[in-house]
Order: sequence, then structure tokens, then C-alpha cells
Amino acid sequence: MKKHPRFLSLFLFIGVFIFVIVPFVPLILTSLSFGWRWPDVVPQAWSLRAWEYVVNDGRTWQAVGISLWIALIVTAINIVLAVPAANALMRYRVRGRWLFEAIIFAPIIIPPFISVMGIHLTFLRLGLTETVLGVVLAHIAPTLPYMFRAVMISYQTLSTDWEDQARMLGAGAMPRFFHVVLPHLLPGILAGASLSVLISLSQYLITFIIGAGQVVTLPILLFPFISGGDPGIASAYSLLYAVIAILALIIMDAALKRYYQMNKASQNQSKGVKP
Amino acid sequence: MWRKSKPYLLLLPAAAAIILLFFGGIFDGLLKSFGYFPAIGQTELNLAAYDRLLSSDAFWKSLTLTLRIAALSSLLSAIIGALVAIALFFLNDAMKTTSPKVWHRLFQLPLTIPHLVTGYIIVLLFMQSGFVSRILAAIGWIDDIADFPVLVNDTFGWGIIFTYAWKEAPFVALMLYPVLSRIHGSWREVSRVFGAGNWQFIREVVMPVMMPAWMVATFIIFVFTFSAFEVPYLLGVTYPSVLPVYSYQLYTSGTLADRPEALAVNMILAAITILLGLVAYYFSKRWNVLKGWG
Repeated sequence: MKKHPRFLSLFLFIGVFIFVIVPFVPLILTSLSFGWRWPDVVPQAWSLRAWEYVVNDGRTWQAVGISLWIALIVTAINIVLAVPAANALMRYRVRGRWLFEAIIFAPIIIPPFISVMGIHLTFLRLGLTETVLGVVLAHIAPTLPYMFRAVMISYQTLSTDWEDQARMLGAGAMPRFFHVVLPHLLPGILAGASLSVLISLSQYLITFIIGAGQVVTLPILLFPFISGGDPGIASAYSLLYAVIAILALIIMDAALKRYYQMNKASQNQSKGVKP
Repeated sequence: MWRKSKPYLLLLPAAAAIILLFFGGIFDGLLKSFGYFPAIGQTELNLAAYDRLLSSDAFWKSLTLTLRIAALSSLLSAIIGALVAIALFFLNDAMKTTSPKVWHRLFQLPLTIPHLVTGYIIVLLFMQSGFVSRILAAIGWIDDIADFPVLVNDTFGWGIIFTYAWKEAPFVALMLYPVLSRIHGSWREVSRVFGAGNWQFIREVVMPVMMPAWMVATFIIFVFTFSAFEVPYLLGVTYPSVLPVYSYQLYTSGTLADRPEALAVNMILAAITILLGLVAYYFSKRWNVLKGWG
């Protein structure tokens, strides 16, 4: 019986390795190869040509900047919209609660491109196509439900007693929100923000319809290369795109951990316990 | 008065944003699918687009293809995801303190990779001159590029199915794992006392426990793959194409006459996803599967 776990763990390790890691190998090799012909499993000649192209092309960094900028604005808008809404649904008796939930969660089920294709001509008339603002507006529906859900979960564990106590000590509405409510919601907001950023970064079709090729985010820049363009450049762009998505997530995760550590430290201090 | 209307005022901005930007767009599309284009002087509503669509061969082919790809993708991800979740569960059970966390992190990686990048990874792996074909040639299974089957941009949709399996199997595993971790170690002991082997334990205890969550996870993937655009657009063929791609092809075909048809495809797609969503919601509520998750 003792032998079993080790065998299983080795089996799992190989399985997960092949499943998760190996698929990246051709992507990395293609971005570094020079004329990689068919039967060769490993390229005969290496070259940094594709990476030089990607790094030196001004459009790359412009696209990275615009993608992150759009993701950040979208996330900021989502926070402003989701916090009051989650507060209302979790803490008040709301009539037609199911209706509000159905409205806000609908974009998870119904694909957003359906709405975007419908609204396209209206956006055109309003002059919102080919603008960053138009793309931001198009990204709100697919991302807001995730932020909303994350904040709602945070509200579940926040008792009104805390705010009542702050009120008793003389804190007004604003200080109560910023010193009592917001710190408690922050982890949830960060979790929602990770999802919101990730989803915004990965939108292709709705950005393409509304941006009409003028708002060039990373996926828009990437697409012509991966659908029959230069494989080396396509691979380098793909890797860059994936790394940026992962980095965005890691930064959020690190912020969350830091926050928890700070919290722990301050709690320990107030209890007079040395950390 | 303020106290009574306060929650509604707090809800207003979020609800208004979704109603205007999302439902507004759907309603706009619905009107146009009925041929309502005031810009070109058409203000009468008719069902012509739906008529043309439902009597066209391309639409039905597209619908069948979409259903098949969604069914196979969700099934494949569900099987791989379940296997991994069960393996992780046994591993965790066996060596309480070590690596499961690392496994978790590693297995989350595909979830963070954007869909287009995943699609391109599958292209490089499975195209006829791809990595898998090279490995098979190196070990002597095939002699020529043409010996390797067409798995990318093929009419069946294998490339699309592989992409989704890679990306969604971890999702299934991550949804099942918390459910499985509620199985107590003592249950295993008890099953052993009664003489059950590992396999019997899986069949009699693990499977029934994870079944509801597993079904819902599979269903969520089905709904998602049914209506997703990027991956089939990259990895599919022009004809037949899945419904979202078909709609996009009609929308961008250049003639204004095709636009109501494109929007009609969208409305049918929306109706189907709403229906599927309601079914999923009903079952997840009934089985209470998402307890302890999220």
C-alpha cells in the first residue's frame, strides 16, 4: 500500500507535465528558430529575429499600453458600479431581487458579441466606434458580473455591527466606508479585478467590431500573425500576450498577499503580540 | 422615503449599465433582425430573415456542427478534469503536507492563457507539419507530412475540441476538487474495513459525491463553447462554421441584406443560451453543488 502514492504521484507528474507544459515547447521553439523544417524535432538553426521584430516594433508596446489601459479603466468602472449594487443586494430587503441578479449576471450566459453586433450601428451614429471609450463601454458587460460576484461574497462576511460601532464612535458615512467597509471588501475587489482584467485582455471580437481596427489591443495585433502569418513572430507575440496576462494576475495576487500580511501584522501589534 | 428607495438607488448604476449596454444591444439587434432599419427607410417589422435562415442548408449545418463541437469539447474536458481531480484527491490523501498546492498552481496555468494563444498552441502542436507530427516521424510512425491526419482547420473541428479540452479541463478539476476534499479520510478507512479496494472506493463513494458538481461544470463548458467565437474562428473552416462565426461571416459579408440574417442567428443563439442557462441554474440550485465553492 505504501508504494501506491509514489507511483500515482509519478504518474500524475508525467501526465500534468505533458498536458500543461509540453504544449508550450513548440511555441517557444518556433519563436527562436530559423527555418524549422518538418521532420526536425528540434530546430537546426536558431535566431532572435522574431523577438527583435516584436520588441522593436513600436506597435507592440502601444498595443500593450492600450490593452492594459482599457483593462484598468474597465476595472475601475466595474468597482464603482459593483460595490454599491452588491451592498444593496446583500444588506437590504430588495423587491425583485432575482430580477436584479438576473440582469447583472446575464452577460455570463448570453455571449456579449450578440449585444455588441446589435449596438454597433448605434455606436457608429454616436461616434463611439474606433474610440477607446467605445471599446471600454463594450467591455463592461462581459466583466461586470465577475466583479459583482466577488464583491457580493465579500459583503457576506461583513457584519453591520462594525459600521454601527464606528457610527457610535462618531464616524460619518465617508470615514465609515473608507475605514471600515472598504478594507474588508478589498480582497474581494482584488479578486474581481483579476478576473475583470483577464477577461478584458482576452476580448477579440467585440474589440474588433467596436474598435474597427483603429483601437489596436494585443489580440487585435496578434490575430493576423496567428492566422497564417509568420510563425516565428506569431509565436513571439503569443508568448508576450500570455506573459502579460499571467503577470497581471501575479501582481494582483501579490497585492492580495501583501494586504493580508499587513493586516496580520497590524492585528498582532494591536494585540500586543510580537509577530 | 429615502430609506425605502436607497437600495434601488444603489443598484441603479450597475443595473442601468447592463440594461443600456447589454440588453439595449440585444434589443437593438432584435429589432434589426426583424428588418427594422430606419436609416435606409425600413420601418416595417417582418420575419423574412428568420424565414430565409431556417430554410437555408448552411444554418442547419452550422447548428449541428456547433452542437457537436460543444458536446465533444465539454465531454472531453469533463473526463480529463475528473481524472485529474480524483488523482489529486488520492495524492492529497496520501501525502497530506507536500505538493498538492504546487499541482494546483501548475494546473491553473491553462486558465490564465488567452483563448487565441491557446488556439495557436494547438495549431503548432497538431497541424500536419506540427510538433506531434514531427515526434511521430522521429519515432518512425509516419514517413510523410501527408500521413498525419488533418486536425487543424478541419471540417470536423478537432482542433477546436482540443483547444477547449486543454483550457477547460483545469476548470473542471478546480470545481471538483473542493467538493472531493470534503470526503473524510475516515470514509476511506470504513470502506477498507468493508473490503473495498481503491477502484470500488472511487465507484461507490467518490463518483456519487462529485457527480452533481461534475454535471454542472460540464454544462457550463457546454454553454460557453456553444457560443464562443475566437477559437472556432481561428481553428475552423469557412464552411461549415459554428453559429457565432456564421453570424460574423453574414454580418461582414458586405451586403446590407445579410445583416438581418446575421442578427437573426444571434437571436437564436441568445435564446438557446438563455434556455441552457436556466436549465443549469435549476440543477445547480436543486443539487446545491456550488456550496463551498467560490
